[in-house]
Amino acid sequence: MEKAKTKSAAVFAGIGHYFGDFGRAVKDGDLFVKLSLLWMGAGYFRRKQYIKSILITIFEVLIIIYSVVFGLQYVPKFGTLGTVKREAVFNPMTMKNEFNQYDNSFMILLFSVITFVIWAAFLAIYISNVKRAYELQKMAENGEHINTFLEDVNTYRNENFHKTLLALPVAGVVLFTVVPLLILVLVAFTNYDQQHMPPGELFTWTGLTNFINLFGGGGLTITFGYAFVRVLLWTLVWAVFATFTTYIGGILLSLLINHKRVKGKKMWRTLFMVTIAVPQFVSLLLVRNFFANGGIVNTICANIGLTEFLRNAGIISTSYIPFLSSPGWAHVMIILINIWVGVPYQMLIATGALMNLPTDQIESARIDGANPTQIFRHITMPYLLFITGPALVTDFVKNINNFNVIYLLTQDVYTTTNQALANSQAKEVDLLVTWLFRLTQEYYNYKMAAVIGIMVFIVCAGFTLVAFTRMTKGNREEEYN
Amino acid sequence: MKLKVSDILRYALLAFLALIWLVPIVWLLATSFSKYTGMNTTTFFPTEWGIENYKNLLFGADSVAQFPHWFWNTMVIAVFTCVISTAFVLMVAYATSCMRFKGRKALMNISVVINLFPGVLAMIAVYFILKSFDLTNSYVGLILVYSASSGLGYLIAKGFLDTVPVSLREAAYLDGASEAMVFFKVVMPMSKPIIVYTVISSFLVPWMDFVYAKMILNSGVSSQWTVAIGLYNMLEKSLINTYFTQFCAGGVLVSIPISILFIIMQKFYVEGVTGGAVKG
Amino acid sequence: MKKGLVSVLLTASMASMLLAGCGGGGEAADTQGQAGAQTGEKQNVQLTVWGAENDQAILKEFADSFAQEYAEYANFDIQVGVESESTAKDTVLTDVEAAADVYSFASDQLADLVNAGALQPVDDMDQVLQMYAGKTVDEVKQSNTEGSVDAAMMNGKLYAFPRTADNGYFLYYDSNVLSEEDVKSWDSLLAAAESAGKKVGMTLASGWYDASFFYSAGFTTSLNEDGSTSMDWNKEADYSGVDVANAMIHIASSPAFMAIADGDISNQLASGQLCAAVSGVWDSGVAESTYGDGYAAAILPTFTVAGEQVQQLSVVGCKLVAVNAYSENVGWATLFADWITNEEAQAKSFAQNGTGPSNVNVMNTDAVQQNVAIATLGEQTNYGVVQSVGQNFWDPAATFGEMVATGVLKEGDTAGIQAALDTLVDGVTAPIQ
Repeated sequence: MEKAKTKSAAVFAGIGHYFGDFGRAVKDGDLFVKLSLLWMGAGYFRRKQYIKSILITIFEVLIIIYSVVFGLQYVPKFGTLGTVKREAVFNPMTMKNEFNQYDNSFMILLFSVITFVIWAAFLAIYISNVKRAYELQKMAENGEHINTFLEDVNTYRNENFHKTLLALPVAGVVLFTVVPLLILVLVAFTNYDQQHMPPGELFTWTGLTNFINLFGGGGLTITFGYAFVRVLLWTLVWAVFATFTTYIGGILLSLLINHKRVKGKKMWRTLFMVTIAVPQFVSLLLVRNFFANGGIVNTICANIGLTEFLRNAGIISTSYIPFLSSPGWAHVMIILINIWVGVPYQMLIATGALMNLPTDQIESARIDGANPTQIFRHITMPYLLFITGPALVTDFVKNINNFNVIYLLTQDVYTTTNQALANSQAKEVDLLVTWLFRLTQEYYNYKMAAVIGIMVFIVCAGFTLVAFTRMTKGNREEEYN
Repeated sequence: MKLKVSDILRYALLAFLALIWLVPIVWLLATSFSKYTGMNTTTFFPTEWGIENYKNLLFGADSVAQFPHWFWNTMVIAVFTCVISTAFVLMVAYATSCMRFKGRKALMNISVVINLFPGVLAMIAVYFILKSFDLTNSYVGLILVYSASSGLGYLIAKGFLDTVPVSLREAAYLDGASEAMVFFKVVMPMSKPIIVYTVISSFLVPWMDFVYAKMILNSGVSSQWTVAIGLYNMLEKSLINTYFTQFCAGGVLVSIPISILFIIMQKFYVEGVTGGAVKG
Repeated sequence: MKKGLVSVLLTASMASMLLAGCGGGGEAADTQGQAGAQTGEKQNVQLTVWGAENDQAILKEFADSFAQEYAEYANFDIQVGVESESTAKDTVLTDVEAAADVYSFASDQLADLVNAGALQPVDDMDQVLQMYAGKTVDEVKQSNTEGSVDAAMMNGKLYAFPRTADNGYFLYYDSNVLSEEDVKSWDSLLAAAESAGKKVGMTLASGWYDASFFYSAGFTTSLNEDGSTSMDWNKEADYSGVDVANAMIHIASSPAFMAIADGDISNQLASGQLCAAVSGVWDSGVAESTYGDGYAAAILPTFTVAGEQVQQLSVVGCKLVAVNAYSENVGWATLFADWITNEEAQAKSFAQNGTGPSNVNVMNTDAVQQNVAIATLGEQTNYGVVQSVGQNFWDPAATFGEMVATGVLKEGDTAGIQAALDTLVDGVTAPIQ
């Protein structure tokens, strides 16, 4: 707790400094520093950094042009997300439909968010620009050397190299991950669903209605809250089992293969790795047909009398074994199939770790008279856990969002017999992600999907926070430096 | 060799496990050589064998099976994706691992937070962003989707770079090398395993993805598809009976190059993944 | 302002149409001349069309013949793409603007497409059809069967062109195992199958199939204007809902009955363990090759509800061709949609692909009448219902079917069945969101 407090205090202090410096620069700066509040190139111009001055001026002009020509078409409508509905009239002369100037709520949302992001970036550059101008003024006053343009460029290969490296990747992440996520987070506060689909219809802000509905407050979606809890529980159970079964399985398998008396290690490894090489949509769709109600495994089970036996024992009530079509069976089968998919990966990781075993420690332990079991228990195992443990956290989060396995194994083949779930388009075997995927793809219920997405985030964030504070990961990297 | 029994047990267990792991793969292989076009639900091995499926897939392109086109499309997308992704991942990894700058920790924390959101949620927004740049139904769009955000997956590579001894870099600085030189001349040559690992895993993405590709390549022209959507489409209710075995054949054909890649690169892959998973 | 302009243009063109109508054929060409003059010589018109996989070849032929037919008015560049008719809606609604100008879809998706404003009403295009295709919208309606036109209408407007009327189901059977008498009722059918050691297959876990039992007993569903569904299955019609459910459970619990997952019928037919199966024309090929000389088809059997025999009805649907309301060339798109659904086109589709026509004239040709599957379907249409339901119907209805199929519901358990029906109706009639 203490630590967290000091941390957040430091953050606020940082923010304070940031704006404090800006204020000081504006207050104490000379004419050109103040002028650079309007004309961003002023400070550089005064210090004879003409190229830099021109570049930043062009940048400023571009942003202004963008804002006026493009951004201001959308941002003013952000409050309502549009008011003019589309109307079309057919003109037989041109054989074309003619539209009114209609609003597209989604485009308003999208371009407003993009504009906000651009403005935020601009603001940051703007502030640091003024500060820089003030710094330059001071440097000039102290008679320090002021960089030429070439020298400035050179810093991007040295102390500023990280900016060169990070520029493109960060831009990519912002445009293709951050902006889309922001938009979908905002959608959770709108009524964007099948009744309000742009471009034909408009959608608008509805505040917290969707969240209230999810927890049964709205009355409209009686079963949504129930379905959410059911799906969430299975998601957690799945994530725990999927993570630990493959993890332990992978370690055991790698120990087995890497045992010193086993010959042909590479061949064994390759055999297991074939399953990685077959794309999941092929192997999983295949396995799904393999275990289908009328599939080959069922035929074999029926032929050897297993089906009959289970039927007589009262375990199944159908004329087939519902491997992937009834709740209990499907849950177990999905986890088993996931072992099949996931163990080879984990085996590879564990193999790599085993190769790096601290041999000197083992050697000295052996000299001290430790037997193989003791060495295994006190050296090999702790080392393996130490090395592969942290990946468990990320694996867990990945499994919460493990779309492929569940979707490929159950989509179109699993029909729930739980009516309350069916009424909110969920199934017993759904993870939150597959549920939200179907809500968007088949029911266009973007608003509820967005709410569920936010819930997934909260679950993952809570878990990660706990796990990471326990493991104090931050210091590990320094060990090597 | 005293403990013969335990050896036998060990081999038996391994063989048994390998059998379980390979049964579906063998079924895939066997079915791909079946003469019957639908799904065989009565016997494990096909009753009649033939290579028609491969012939149809490779030479007899109809509107459903355009395998050569798909393969080429996917290959092009995969090559570009893997170049861009690998570059991005290494760039971010180097910046966060080997350099110290203001906001580094904040950046890393933000990346952790972003990774917690379910990716499929944002699909529709990504689609409309691409559309506003007129990049839907284009490979550029798909390449961007696969590679633009790849910087987020830098952790494993960073973990690997963390293990490169700092003294090497310091020596280079003393020799007057710039940061960029250190990146290209000192760190990269030592990072072969992680480069191989990143290349393989980003190369595989376009071969595996059927969700984004389906959404972005939505013109309905099947020759523009990637392997994943093309094959996935063959399992549609109205097609499965005519194309199931061709689907299997397609699966085999895709797996062959990937398997070869894996087998050749096995050593590096293992080193890369552990170097990173380990210390990441 | 802009709207004003449009209406002025429209009235002007209306007026000229009226004149043309009075003056006879010659002046219609004049109007077209005007259109041409306004937009320059010959326009370049790009169209895309989506259809099912097995229609690709024929669509290409239609595209060529269309371009030739209207070559004097414009240069056409028509691209043919693949989109499954059963999932067209999902792709279209993701981004209407990127969807094809003309596409084929199954009639149960009509409501969702109309509600999203994705379809150009055919009624609004009367003028174009008269000018270029020489027919009125009313003629389009008259030339197709009543059922198929109903399936393409909503709120009194025609929203798409009927293309096929073959989306219904009936009974395929092996006449070497079952007699014509056996297939008259489910009781005799299952008894005969059991004594022959074979099975009878039907899909239950789908709202498209399991609804047939309820419709047969006088129950209904209907679609409201906001896209939600009304349903009375938990009440009393000619029988009570529980009676119907009991009848279904009775059939499903017979050892000779096999509940088959949606879409898996063809597989099971091919495996040879079924002596009869409820399916549609899309499985005629598999059925024919499996049953060989025993290949036969009949209308659905009767089943026993509360001690009485009730004829089982089939849900009948159609394949429709839509014109995208967001098409750049809505006029030409409409003409092309008509082109691929008119009498000649349907005759050709039947000849090449065996699609069951919705056009009355084509339907009455000898060739169509001799096709076992399509003829039986025609007969079944007399015992058919058009299913009007909204999107909230499908999941709960499939679940109810699965509950019957897997024995979750027990025959005679009135309270349990009534509760299940109540929940079903709750889910189906829930407001759309």
